[in-house]
Amino acid sequence: MDLSQAFSTMAADLPAIFSMSVVTVAGLVMILQESLSENDRPIPWIGVGALAVAVVWELVHLGDPAGTAFFESIRTGGFASYINLIVLGSGIVTIILSVPYLDHIKHAYGEVYAMIMFATVGMLMLGTANSLVSIFVGLETMSVCLYVLTGLIREDEGSVESALKYFLLGAFSTGFFLYGIALMYGATGTMYLPEMQGAVPEGSIMFWAGVALFLIGFLFKVSAAPFHMWTPDVYQGAPTPLTGYMSTASKAAAFASLILVLFYALPDERWSLVLSAVALVTMIIGNVLAVSQDNVKRMLAYSSIAHAGYVLVALAAGTTEAYAGAMFYLLIYAIMNLGAFGVMAMLEWDGKEGRVQSLDSLAGIGHEKPLLGVAMGVFMFSLTGFPPLGGFMGKYAVFAPAVDAGLTWLVLIGVLMSAISAYYYLRVVVVFWLADAEDTPEAQAASRSFVFAGIPVKATIALCAVALVVLGVYSGGLLEMTFGFFEEGMMAATP
Amino acid sequence: MILAILITFFAAGAAPLVASRAGRRTGWILSLVPAGLFAYFATWIPAIQGGEIVRVAVDWVPQFGVEFAFVLDGLSLLFALLITGLGTAILAYAGAYLEGNPDIGRFYVSLIAFMGAMLGVVLADDLIAMFVFWELTSITSYLLIGFKHEKAYARKSALQALLVTGGGGLALLAGVILLASAGGTTSITGLLAAETPITEHALYLPAFILIAIGAFTKSAQFPFHFWLPNAMAAPTPVSAFLHSATMVKAGVYLLARLDPLLGGTAAWTWSLSVVGAITMLVGAIAAVRHTDLKNVLAYSTITALGTLVVLIGLSYPAALKAAIVFLIVHSLYKSVLFLVAGSVDHETGTRDVLALGGLRSKMPYSFGAALLAGLSMAGLPPLFGFVGKELTYKAKLGVEGIGWMLPSVAVIANALTVIAAAILVIRPFFGRYNSPKRAHEAPFAMWIGPVIIGGAGLVLGIVPGILAGIVAPAVDAVAGEPVPIKLALWYGLNTALLLSVITVLLGAFGAWKMDALRMGLQHFDALRRAGPEAVYDRLMNGLPRLAEWQTSFFQGGSLRTYLAATITTLVALVGGTYLWQVGIVVPWSAPDLMPIEIVVTGIVAVSALAVTVVRSRLVAVTALGVVGVGVALLFVLFSAPDLAMTQFLVEILIVVIVLLVMQHLPDEVNRTSLGRRIRDAGIAVGAGAVVTVLLLSVGQTPVSRHLSDFFGETAVPGGFGRNVVNVILVDFRALDTLGEIAVIAIAALGVFVLVKMNAPLDGLTRPAHPSVVLQTGTRLLMSVLLLASLFMLWRGHNEPGGGFIGGLVAAAALVLYTIAYRQAGTERMLRVAPRVLIGSGLAVALASGLFAVMAGKTYLTGLWAGIETGTGVLKLGTPLLFDVGVFLTVVGVVMTMVLALERISTAPPPLMDGEGEGTQEPGTQGERIRPPSRRAPTAPETSEKLPAS
Repeated sequence: MDLSQAFSTMAADLPAIFSMSVVTVAGLVMILQESLSENDRPIPWIGVGALAVAVVWELVHLGDPAGTAFFESIRTGGFASYINLIVLGSGIVTIILSVPYLDHIKHAYGEVYAMIMFATVGMLMLGTANSLVSIFVGLETMSVCLYVLTGLIREDEGSVESALKYFLLGAFSTGFFLYGIALMYGATGTMYLPEMQGAVPEGSIMFWAGVALFLIGFLFKVSAAPFHMWTPDVYQGAPTPLTGYMSTASKAAAFASLILVLFYALPDERWSLVLSAVALVTMIIGNVLAVSQDNVKRMLAYSSIAHAGYVLVALAAGTTEAYAGAMFYLLIYAIMNLGAFGVMAMLEWDGKEGRVQSLDSLAGIGHEKPLLGVAMGVFMFSLTGFPPLGGFMGKYAVFAPAVDAGLTWLVLIGVLMSAISAYYYLRVVVVFWLADAEDTPEAQAASRSFVFAGIPVKATIALCAVALVVLGVYSGGLLEMTFGFFEEGMMAATP
Repeated sequence: MILAILITFFAAGAAPLVASRAGRRTGWILSLVPAGLFAYFATWIPAIQGGEIVRVAVDWVPQFGVEFAFVLDGLSLLFALLITGLGTAILAYAGAYLEGNPDIGRFYVSLIAFMGAMLGVVLADDLIAMFVFWELTSITSYLLIGFKHEKAYARKSALQALLVTGGGGLALLAGVILLASAGGTTSITGLLAAETPITEHALYLPAFILIAIGAFTKSAQFPFHFWLPNAMAAPTPVSAFLHSATMVKAGVYLLARLDPLLGGTAAWTWSLSVVGAITMLVGAIAAVRHTDLKNVLAYSTITALGTLVVLIGLSYPAALKAAIVFLIVHSLYKSVLFLVAGSVDHETGTRDVLALGGLRSKMPYSFGAALLAGLSMAGLPPLFGFVGKELTYKAKLGVEGIGWMLPSVAVIANALTVIAAAILVIRPFFGRYNSPKRAHEAPFAMWIGPVIIGGAGLVLGIVPGILAGIVAPAVDAVAGEPVPIKLALWYGLNTALLLSVITVLLGAFGAWKMDALRMGLQHFDALRRAGPEAVYDRLMNGLPRLAEWQTSFFQGGSLRTYLAATITTLVALVGGTYLWQVGIVVPWSAPDLMPIEIVVTGIVAVSALAVTVVRSRLVAVTALGVVGVGVALLFVLFSAPDLAMTQFLVEILIVVIVLLVMQHLPDEVNRTSLGRRIRDAGIAVGAGAVVTVLLLSVGQTPVSRHLSDFFGETAVPGGFGRNVVNVILVDFRALDTLGEIAVIAIAALGVFVLVKMNAPLDGLTRPAHPSVVLQTGTRLLMSVLLLASLFMLWRGHNEPGGGFIGGLVAAAALVLYTIAYRQAGTERMLRVAPRVLIGSGLAVALASGLFAVMAGKTYLTGLWAGIETGTGVLKLGTPLLFDVGVFLTVVGVVMTMVLALERISTAPPPLMDGEGEGTQEPGTQGERIRPPSRRAPTAPETSEKLPAS
């Protein structure tokens, strides 16, 4: 037996899971470091280092042609590298933001960072999954870690309550999901997305019922209405930097996976109507409910629901341009939201993960902390979709193809809802900059023992803001790249 | 051109630096930027006059055909000259106006950035690029209005302006997208050059309405006009620049720019002229009503904007020519009046005309500028305003079909404007000297600009012909065709002149009776409460209320509600789809049931019902267990022993774990109301019905057997095992199994992390002394169970069993041991932490796949070897090894969870016979448990409050 050839077979597949392996190994090393050494300081930085290595790896492979690896379980190539970059980048930002935050709330345990790493592994698998089982394994790895991270602070009832809600509802949706997978497999006899399309028996109720259950599971994870109800409670209850992580990386991975499913397995116009309806309800509920929130974290939770609605508009359009636009939007959205939650994490003082801290108590904080204030302004304007910031380009990228696909009515609702969103996003800017602490009783009462934001945190937040400005002014290359992922030749790579 | 915009933004960035270094000269230095740009644009006049149109473009978003394209034609040149020319005067003025203000750097950043954005709006040739700059002007306007952020009124006004214009901007975006989708391009030049007119496209009307809303909000047209007077909270130079001369004209610019594309239809003419006419009247009446200089100016600006919209709405050459001329006229006189008003405010400390008088001798230069501008505003010859008004009247008289309607409105509005001009000039400057503080002339920088611009009004009035070179190309650009232009002060005796005379006479009379007029108008103040601003306020107040109502409706925070909503949606969606696609058909076919199946199903159904109705939690959990066991029995009946065994074991473990936790739950007092229970029952029955129907219909379609056939046929030759389920798990789809055990491993790790970092639960129970009988029995049973588990593992490949089942059996044994000997006993017996079991299990599973790689096969391919023994061939293979990994992982996972639960839920046990070590603190055995961070450890006194189970 030729050993060298054997290893080369194996080795050929290894690059596909390079990032996953690096992150997993780093997670294990972090646990070892925690149990073997008294010095916990390097643990988060081990994670950041590993993620950075993976980022470099994925950057190098961004231009690769599409393919599959490990018995077609996961996808490789540009699309995979792109979504992996979003996930890995979010992971880096989250860990950097978590270090001072978790120190502040005295929960800086090594295992917490390890859980972040394992959640990242799950997302990496989910975003690149090519078979139903990979999707499930990725989704569950991610979810289990997120349940734990949500309930990190068990002395605090709010944190526990949100974790429990998340877990119970999440387990429930997993049930749907699994049932859906079983029915789909039963109907088509395959787990692989690209094979599924051709294998659907004509008029198979089993398959459509399966897809319906499967989609409900997905819609739950991306917090689309009416399966969004866990989101505000969980986002409000979880430690703030981790909320940012939850709202960005996990959604990006889930949406990427959903795009692959729709693109390969379900290119059927019938789903367009369903997704349009979901997008419509999601945008309306997210935006209207965000208006009445006094708590910024909760407001951002509803805002994340609204943004899921915008992405769903593109998914409903179902054209390659729309999918490319959605991929682009996921990146922009990740940057905006990570930044916004990061700023809120640094401005927290209530000792309850920002759960009881009202927006008004931060009156005039912009003058006190100009960097965070300016950055928050950029994030809020960008989330609203004001040009020339990234948020505008993102919205344009999802809305324009939807108009081309004939979903003009949906886009009009989307734009109208964006107008409503200006109300609650800009309120943050007004309070941060234009309100005076002297006039606001709540700001007077606030103890304002903020998290100490060191250089790494400030640099990270500033980087997010700058990235939004840059992407808003010039994003041609990136958008072009996302278009490339869905070109005929690229996606046809199905062995 | 692109460079011009870039330079402006660069200057904006550099402004704070200049402000901190240059001190008093800041205004002068910064005004060099617009001055230079003005000169630059002026050099283009001859070329543009010669009919040239310059276009430059840079790719921006090539995927959507969007580019940063800029075009310089007559219209954009006119606006660029206005922006940079007025910008020069205003930047210089602001330096003196805000001297000593610590935030002056911030002010200039916004102001100059606004100038760049405004240049971008008028130069952009791409709809999207234009929209970007358009919104940028809204943002900078917002920042400038809110400049005096310590005042609540300024904050409110800033937000209002932003929401109205920014929201209108989004309508514009929607309109632009529609327009681009109708015309196939976002390039304005491209749209104009299109073969088929857009006006016949189906999307024309929605696109036009949305774009018009954008333009109306920006240009303060009725009913969106209310933000403009409130925007006067901005520093006066800002009001002069943004809110009279440039930004509010962006809407007018947009309409003018798109006139060749969208204009000429009935919708265009009627909506623009009606809205414009109402705006004229509303603005003119309100202007006379007020006494604050800036409010009067703001409302008269609204009048002027209405006039411009009417003229563009008429959209025939004479009207467009009047529009262009009037636009220049208005920008000139209004900016002067604003700046003078600012000077008066600056020097006297008030803007209320009732508190002012006789300033002409104290502020001679300002007075001169104001007089020239005021006369121009009143439309008296020989000022430029007269030229503008004559053209306006002529244009309005030229409309057929409307008759005298439009000219009459114009006469009333203009007469009121004459009165407004009188308010602005006569009151403060003539009469008896009156000022709250000692007034003297404003600094040089604050009067030189107004004097120059005011003088320009006079010069242009006498020789308007010199403007023809700028006006003509602009009119051409709006009209879309060459229009002959002749500008003169005197056109001879005609109807327009007659109207002018009537206007001035009416105005003079009104100015004489001004106080009476104002008193009369005060009676109408009540109307404001029903006006558009009141609607805005009610909307702003109503939105949160609506949202709150929705929140309490949709988001009560109760998990039960969430679940109910989720399931209801599912039932409605799936059930609805079924009804829609299939109809009310119950796919019932008489099943062929054995009696035992009916009995088991009955037990399951009764138990499930019991779960929902019994009051005791203990009974409910047990009943749930019975449901699971019933399902397992059904698996047995359908010849799926592996499934059944797994199900049994999982059910048992779940019940045990739930019971372990249950002693910490509060008493069962929380009973819900009957109504809710009925509702919940309805939802549950609905969900059950939908799933049943779905399953029945799935069962009706013949299930493809090719999968089971395939696995059945290949299990023995391919996987050397007769237990197909196990072969699939450990051989055919081993990679999936690997992923799944990784997931449960991570779940266990998660539980471990949660437990490790937290304090013990409240109300620790001091466990009862374990019974000796139990301990002895357990010891006996343990060995049997563990042996059985190994046997299950071993035979799994051919008989029911395998790693999962074996692992669960072993775990069940260990859980029993834990109940008998507590956590400490189990830990001592296991010797290694359960986490190590998980790790080694995963490692074994991973490594078992490597053998195949060594043999040149793909990862995790099963390899088998036969070993000759005395009794036969012993088959050993890597799948068996893989199964061992699964076994270890499962044991580790279950034990990690159970031990963690034990640790946090029980207090240190009392000394037991012969087990003294058991008194150790729960954290010291191998694990470092940190002290709880927030809450003091639970005091032992509280530990008796729950009965020991």
